[in-house]
Amino acid sequence: MARRRTRKRNLGTNFAALCIAAFVALPLYWMVASSFKGQADITSAAAVPPHPTTANYGNAFSNYSFGQYLENSAIVAVATTAIVLSLGTFAGYALARLPMRGKTTIMTVLLMISLFPTIAVVAPLYLLLRDIGWLNSYQGLVLAYTALMLPFAIWILRNFFLTIPTAMEESARVDGAGPVRTVLQVILPQALPGVFTAGVFTFVAAWTEFIIALTLNNEDRYRTIAVGIALFGGQFTTPYGTIFAASAVAMLPIALLVLVFRRAVVSGLTAGAVKG
Amino acid sequence: MSSTVLPPRRRSGMRRRSARLGWAFASPALLVVAAVMIFPIVFSVIMSANHVQVSGNGFQLSGFTGSNYSILLHAPRFWHDLEFTVLYTVFTVAVEMVLGTLIALVLERLTTGRGWMMALLLMPWALITVVSAELWAYVYNGVYGVLDAFLGDFGVHDLNVLGTPMQASIAMAVADVWKTTPFVAIMVLAGLVMLPSEVVEAARVDGANGWTVFWRIRLPLLRPALAVAVLFRILQAFGLFDLPYVLTNGGPGTSTESLAVLGYKVLFNDLEFGPGAAIAATTALIVLVFCLLFLKVFRTQVGEQED
Amino acid sequence: MTKTSRRAAAAAASAAAVLAFTAACSSSSSTTPAAPAATGSATGTITWFANQFGPTTTDVRKTLIAAFEKAYPGITVKLEQAPSDTDTYRSTLVTQISGGSSSFDVYNGDVTWPAQFAKASLALPLNSYFDQSYWNTFSNGLVSSLSYKGQTYAVPLFTDNAFLFYRKDLLAKAHLPVPTTWEQLQSEAETLQKDNLVKYGFAAQFDSYEGLTCDWTEFAADAGATSVNSDGTSSSIDTAAAQKALTFMRGLITSGVTPSAATTFQEQQSESLFTSGQVAFLRNWTYAYADSNTQGTSKVAGDVGVTNLPTFAGQTGPGYSVTGGWNLYVNPHSKNLAADVDFLKWMTGTQAQTIMAEQGGEIPTVASVLADPQVQASNPAYPVAAKNKLNARPSYVAQYSQVSQAIYTNINAALSGSVSPSAALSSANSQINSALSNSGL
Repeated sequence: MARRRTRKRNLGTNFAALCIAAFVALPLYWMVASSFKGQADITSAAAVPPHPTTANYGNAFSNYSFGQYLENSAIVAVATTAIVLSLGTFAGYALARLPMRGKTTIMTVLLMISLFPTIAVVAPLYLLLRDIGWLNSYQGLVLAYTALMLPFAIWILRNFFLTIPTAMEESARVDGAGPVRTVLQVILPQALPGVFTAGVFTFVAAWTEFIIALTLNNEDRYRTIAVGIALFGGQFTTPYGTIFAASAVAMLPIALLVLVFRRAVVSGLTAGAVKG
Repeated sequence: MSSTVLPPRRRSGMRRRSARLGWAFASPALLVVAAVMIFPIVFSVIMSANHVQVSGNGFQLSGFTGSNYSILLHAPRFWHDLEFTVLYTVFTVAVEMVLGTLIALVLERLTTGRGWMMALLLMPWALITVVSAELWAYVYNGVYGVLDAFLGDFGVHDLNVLGTPMQASIAMAVADVWKTTPFVAIMVLAGLVMLPSEVVEAARVDGANGWTVFWRIRLPLLRPALAVAVLFRILQAFGLFDLPYVLTNGGPGTSTESLAVLGYKVLFNDLEFGPGAAIAATTALIVLVFCLLFLKVFRTQVGEQED
Repeated sequence: MTKTSRRAAAAAASAAAVLAFTAACSSSSSTTPAAPAATGSATGTITWFANQFGPTTTDVRKTLIAAFEKAYPGITVKLEQAPSDTDTYRSTLVTQISGGSSSFDVYNGDVTWPAQFAKASLALPLNSYFDQSYWNTFSNGLVSSLSYKGQTYAVPLFTDNAFLFYRKDLLAKAHLPVPTTWEQLQSEAETLQKDNLVKYGFAAQFDSYEGLTCDWTEFAADAGATSVNSDGTSSSIDTAAAQKALTFMRGLITSGVTPSAATTFQEQQSESLFTSGQVAFLRNWTYAYADSNTQGTSKVAGDVGVTNLPTFAGQTGPGYSVTGGWNLYVNPHSKNLAADVDFLKWMTGTQAQTIMAEQGGEIPTVASVLADPQVQASNPAYPVAAKNKLNARPSYVAQYSQVSQAIYTNINAALSGSVSPSAALSSANSQINSALSNSGL
């Protein structure tokens, strides 16, 4: 009887999952399908490209330096994520757990910084990086992104750390573990899903950011994909096929990344599944 | 907070040490943020209170003024855009939080294929925002959009999705829900998974059923995770830019113009950096109030009690 | 660093901010133009920041650069690709030039930018580098649109006109002449629709964006209306003539001649309605002729005719076309002005303008090139363009961007039926006036 109920529940869960997957996947499918449509078919509503072609992909890579843009985006996003997570984990832990004065103020100021409209800080940010001499470079963009995304990453990490019971740290302290080791070996494994969330947030934000990348790096050598795609097209035309082809390629690294890191997260997640 | 049983004097010494440690942990991050972000934000706020002329020789600030703000307060367009942005935010955040939590609960129960589901869910979120707007513009297109073709099969013609204020707003919200809800779901799922399983099991043993466990025990424990998801959504929704910019350019008329689109036009089309900065500063202030209010209602302190 | 900004800096909240602010406010001092150099002797590398124009299949910019470098072996031109969206492009130009960037020397810019860029000194004044005979080579009216307060801030790279594109096959089938008035166009369209020859009659760009300001300016001019008075001091949009134009435009939609979705149409949507064979008449730019006559992508290839836009009954035809197109501007921070000037001169010379017309499909700005029979034979739109009655948008005011927004948002609201034509015009009127007096958004 209990087993039957479980099976029924699984059926319901699987059906719901299927619906969610369909809602998410349909527009994506439409994008990918359209990326294989040529000029003549791009206005057709056919679900399968009538005359499939890879011309759009060729166009993105040969008429624009799309390969270079991909490389640039990867470098900038990976570096930003690494720095944000390493700085943010310790800051998030301190703000969640350690008895510092003025934590409320710090959290509020961090929130303020992350909600200040980016368009209003682009021009002064440009002046700042010009004076450091980091325009048209990787490090300039990484620095700007790190500062821009750290505040909210700290918020994410700190709030997830808050949900972890304190008992573990105390036993670690009793065992004589130093504070850095406590964070790395006790807190981090516990908070892995939260760290993953913060990492995805940062990586995707860096991967898709447009206005700052457009302004700071205007040499083709240092342009990112979000900017690269905005170069496509002429005065009166939006070349949907080419844009979608480029975007489909730009999504792949993220999918791979999630699948690779899934192990790390799923280990945390399986614990949840068992109790579920 | 850390309350092992220790004699009072040792405790206060340890507290001081812990506080020092806290600053050591937090300061690298805080310094980077301060070094890069304080100047641009302060600069922008100064511009909002000055007559500003952008020029080939930098920004010329010619004296303090309140006129940038008074221009805003007297512009019906600003009030309209504010109203639109607030309504849009409230609506989409509510929808996305409910949907996101439901999706997270489904994912949590899913026994097979969860990694693949997560990879799929993150795809819309990983799509470059302007591309996702272009994708929906392509779907909603009034001439060859697939939505019209699809609805045409059911005898619905000439819907003109983007040409009427209500339909255009809903169309934007759908695109937004599609792109952002999956990430909300991932955030909530992470929170769910990190909950201590003992508490839930204890309740189960006491005979509580699934819903009671969820409402009475897991949801309250989930508050910090949910709070950060809501904050994240408020920030995103209030900064709504690409969808109206690509889908309607604020039309029909200015009925779907968001504050971010207005700010962008005033700054970079009109080159009015004074009023533009004032829009940005006002927006920031309003979102901040929104967020703090929410945190208060939600009873999650911004910082934990400094005991 | 100016005195005023120093005062503002002193008011900065924190000491750190003041330091950074002071440093950032002072931009490089390379803005004083060097003495005009003799042309032809310049050498070095210059960067041309340009968005894509001309056909998408071949990049005419590269053809032009190759020909220029052949004519001026001492100069190398580096092409820097600019964003295709005009407003995005402008935002990056503004931030970089105001930030003192010299990473590009010459840049493409919209025809409506001279006054705004002049006022903000984002473009170098050019009068001292070119003599009067140079400016006389261009078609009528082009040079005045490049000037602000007596100085000229750009050279015209190529120009663009609006045309009426029509389906020759449909008109022949229904034995109808090519319309010369808007009223005639509407009644012919209704006939074609009634006879089930075509789904819609007329398409144009009625979305809430700059293109609607173009379309509106044409309809208004045909009715004898303007949007801003000639000295640029106040609005002139709220008149009976403007009311007539707007009421007619709205009537196109309510009568079903124009689809209601046209209030979301930009160039691309209106053109694809035409190339998919669903509309009889189309108002669009030069590119649409070649585009809609391309086999494979257009269902109406070979059946497309081009003529001047109609006007309202009782006016002398043809109707007005606004001037579109792009200019070349010089970055005030450019370090190689002599080479920039050589490049500008060559790009607006006979050879480059002929390439532009024959391979780029863009209307040349040099009058003698446009008049050349060989050039005219290369594109049926060019002889029509030579007969066009041109009208500029009111971009001679530095606040043109706000003026245009006041126009297109209100006209779009009226066309979509959410407000009445008279309410839309009176609202546009007050918004234009507050833009011109710098007292509104």
